[in-house]
Amino acid sequence: MPDKVEFVTIFIDGEAYQVPKGANLVDVAKFYADNDIPVFCYHPKMSPVGMCRMCLVELGNSVDRQTNDIKYNADGKPEVMWFPKLQTACTTTVTHGMAVRTDTPKVTDARDDVIEFILTSHPLDCPICDKGGECPLQNLTMRHGAGVSRFDFDNKLHLDKHVPLGELIYLDRERCIQCARCTRFCDEVVGDPVLGFHERGRSLQIVTLSDPPFDTYFSGNTTDICPVGALTTADFRFGARPWELNEVPSLDPYGPEGANISLSTRLDRDSGGVTIIKRVMPRQNEYVNEIWISDKTRFGHHHSRAENRLSKPMVRREDGTLETVSWNEALNTIAEVLKKSAGSVGAVAGPMVSNEDLWELRQLVELTGGSKLGIWPATMTGAEAVAQVGVGTGTNFKDMGKGTTIVVVASDLEEEAPIWFLRTKQARDRGAKLMLLTARPTKLDKYAACILRHHHGETLNAVNNLIGAVLSSDGFTFEESRAEGFDTVKKAKYKGDEAGYDEAAKMITGAENVVVLVGHEGLTLAQHGDVMQSAANLLILTGHVGKPNNGLIPVWPGANTQGALDLGFSAEATADALSQSVVIVAGADPVGTDPAAKAFIASADFVIALSMFDTATTAIAKVILPRQSVPERDGTFTNGERRVQRFYTAQGLIGDTRPDWKVFSQLSNLIDPAVKVRLSAAAVMAEITKNVPRYAEMSYKNLARMEKQFPDVGGDDLYYGGTAYGNHGGLGVQWPVDAEAAGKKLTLKAVKSEKTAKRKGLVAVPVRRLYDRSPEFSASQMMHQRIPSAYAQLSRKDAEKLKVVEGDDITLVFGDGKVRVTAKVDGSTPEGVVLVPVNLTDNPVPTAPMAVEVEK
Amino acid sequence: MLAEKYADKIAKIRSKYPDLRSTVMPLLYIAQEEYGGLDESSLREVAELCDLDPTEVKTIAGFYTMYWENDEKGYKKGKYWLQVCTDLPCALRGADQFFEQLLDHLGVEDGGTTEDGMFTVEHVMCLAACDKAPMLQCNFHFLENLDMEKMKAKIEEWRAEAKERENG
Ligand code: SF4
Ligand code: FES
Repeated sequence: MPDKVEFVTIFIDGEAYQVPKGANLVDVAKFYADNDIPVFCYHPKMSPVGMCRMCLVELGNSVDRQTNDIKYNADGKPEVMWFPKLQTACTTTVTHGMAVRTDTPKVTDARDDVIEFILTSHPLDCPICDKGGECPLQNLTMRHGAGVSRFDFDNKLHLDKHVPLGELIYLDRERCIQCARCTRFCDEVVGDPVLGFHERGRSLQIVTLSDPPFDTYFSGNTTDICPVGALTTADFRFGARPWELNEVPSLDPYGPEGANISLSTRLDRDSGGVTIIKRVMPRQNEYVNEIWISDKTRFGHHHSRAENRLSKPMVRREDGTLETVSWNEALNTIAEVLKKSAGSVGAVAGPMVSNEDLWELRQLVELTGGSKLGIWPATMTGAEAVAQVGVGTGTNFKDMGKGTTIVVVASDLEEEAPIWFLRTKQARDRGAKLMLLTARPTKLDKYAACILRHHHGETLNAVNNLIGAVLSSDGFTFEESRAEGFDTVKKAKYKGDEAGYDEAAKMITGAENVVVLVGHEGLTLAQHGDVMQSAANLLILTGHVGKPNNGLIPVWPGANTQGALDLGFSAEATADALSQSVVIVAGADPVGTDPAAKAFIASADFVIALSMFDTATTAIAKVILPRQSVPERDGTFTNGERRVQRFYTAQGLIGDTRPDWKVFSQLSNLIDPAVKVRLSAAAVMAEITKNVPRYAEMSYKNLARMEKQFPDVGGDDLYYGGTAYGNHGGLGVQWPVDAEAAGKKLTLKAVKSEKTAKRKGLVAVPVRRLYDRSPEFSASQMMHQRIPSAYAQLSRKDAEKLKVVEGDDITLVFGDGKVRVTAKVDGSTPEGVVLVPVNLTDNPVPTAPMAVEVEK
Repeated sequence: MLAEKYADKIAKIRSKYPDLRSTVMPLLYIAQEEYGGLDESSLREVAELCDLDPTEVKTIAGFYTMYWENDEKGYKKGKYWLQVCTDLPCALRGADQFFEQLLDHLGVEDGGTTEDGMFTVEHVMCLAACDKAPMLQCNFHFLENLDMEKMKAKIEEWRAEAKERENG
């Protein structure tokens, strides 16, 4: 519940409760009085529609109209004027003196009748229904249904039971009770109105006509909130019964949002008697993802059991052949090499590598005398800006609304961080203002109150000019006590009079809260660092730092980029790390994803690759160690809001693998027996808490802490929020930034605007797409139709010049790299730019902007 | 393509509404008349014209009975769409017999279309002209106080009209 609200007294079944004025009666009854008013169409995350009538209650009023006080009778009970008819609780907001009765025969009868009515066109095929066992309708039928049907089975309406709404979701038309949760979710929550009701009354059915069908990144969520088994995923359909499943808390391994998930696992005969994931469900964390996850998170888990997973350590012999060896041999081989390396050791870690792994990797590299710790992809930076003015602890998009301005810089949020896209869009629906500093139109454009369009690569100037406009706006004052370095900003002489920027400046200075999300589209690493710094300056100057819902959120390229930066890794070190004579690459494929990396690593004598799959990097490695997937082990990730969160061991092991932290710890021990081998991820974290000040509070015990969340989902009363899972894994802990520390002075470091160079020729701008061909995702067969085939996007003008039309096969040539892709021509691509999605092509494309030639 | 063929009409409709989205219903009528009913491609075409997702357009076409969806019915709407009210007040004035005779005369079932694609006949709920029953609505125009005599003449008239249009 949001704070700063007025409380009123209401009476539920005779008891008085203090509840927030204007809140929804169903929510209030549940939260304050533990009274479950049954619902079907109502969902706490969507506006009420009052369609199913399941929530009927008796309502009354105890307020004296003259005095506006509650009238009490002699024995202290309120004197209630009951309204003659039952009313729907879900469309009622609480007011002072309201009285509710939920336990009278009148109410019970009404509920019984509604259930009977709904069942007249429901097949009750629970024994073969995936939802059976966790079905709101089933549960409420047990509570309110008649034991015997008055309805003749043959009179029931029989409809299609296997209607594919695209390849991911199936519709069973008979089971649908027309609650419109699914359609409202698409329309209201996501803003993709791709599901709709067709026809009326008994003929009503769910349809989709989008191309591809049910075209949204969030389709799976409809199967959770559907109160019956009408919508099921292709992934879980007939896969298992809910009561056989074990729920294990885990994390989304892909995105910087850190979405909390629950892995439903079971011992599976078909998979050789090991415990495997049968499905992925959202796990409620109101700070992070509420109860939503993207389809990538939901359906990507197949990579963890892919047939081509590496399962044994391998060593490359003199003649170049790979030989499977024991762990002992592999580790000894590496230890020997590291001992002789004389400190020329570099390490590069991918975004799915946990904090524990990173810590032990760093210990190992430092033990050998090395110091180069890089991250992959090496596209984003700005650890310092985050440490100063990252979003305040306790930040929650759910609390953002009127008075908040959300600024999105150089990012296509829907593709890069779908959960933040969803929450930003919802904050905007609640009244927050959205400002975009982007180089091309994205889906957020239609929600934006202000768009400061600029050329790719010129984002820094856009941010600086915004600062300029802020400085010259009326009434702007700067409190010198806040930060030092104000004179550097004044001296930088930013342009304050660019058209449209004064309006934008008002949206920043006039806002109570400002959050800035920074991506890296169109930016080189150095430019990105400057943009992060400048964005931090903007926040410091306007005082939007150090408190919840204010500050900076980087749209990192992966799940644990923030953790890597926290533990001393950086993108700046990557090139150096790759050029050492011994290079350890963990959970990344630099050779296969960037031509530049290939050049750097060419100088290495000995590459050690820890990987789940065969990649271009393992192809040049001298030793290959099989990695474990996230569900096979435990550990922690730190999300883009600096929330450190745990994931737990869920799935049986594939092959003979070890967690990375163990591998590194054992190597350290082989090199120097005085170094103890760590025995568990928790022990590694204990070590981190002692050595890394900002992680001092991050013990596994703290990370597992829970608090009561609103709305309450995942209990026995699943009908309320759908089948999302309650959280038993913890909410995680955010580390506080400098701006939150009392008395700590921040530093403004002005970044000079860049001279805008004359643009000539075409520039390839790498862009991120949510669904890509990285092996950690594309192992999910069911997603293949949704993964775009390799393409490059051109503006109409450029296409005309090049005589290229939509659908042509073209070759992109950058330096000595080449890729063949299909041309897409559209009005949204800026002139002079070729948008090239990363991780879609067979050959790598650059991860930073680069001059490109287009050949037919 | 509607956008070219009915450019003026569409421009006029657009001028009446604050946003594109609101023009969907009148545009659906245009599409329906042009193509003899609505099918997937015409729904997509209208969606494009109103900047909506085709799903939204389909839900509108499905909700209102004034729209004829070929995909749902399985066949096209006739050029003349005869909707006869057979509700109780009309039935008291003989509308149901009239309806049966009309079906017989044209040789179709309730809701069917004649083989030459000229007429579709169906019964509907109240059209708010009970006092002038038997009555029907043809392409959204009322014909009232009918009997079979008048109806047959009208049908001949429509046939002639259609032929004339075809020839010239
Ligand atoms: S499919 Fe499920 S969520 Fe959608 S309307 Fe039917 S019952 Fe409700
Ligand atoms: S009418 Fe209230 S829950 Fe459906």
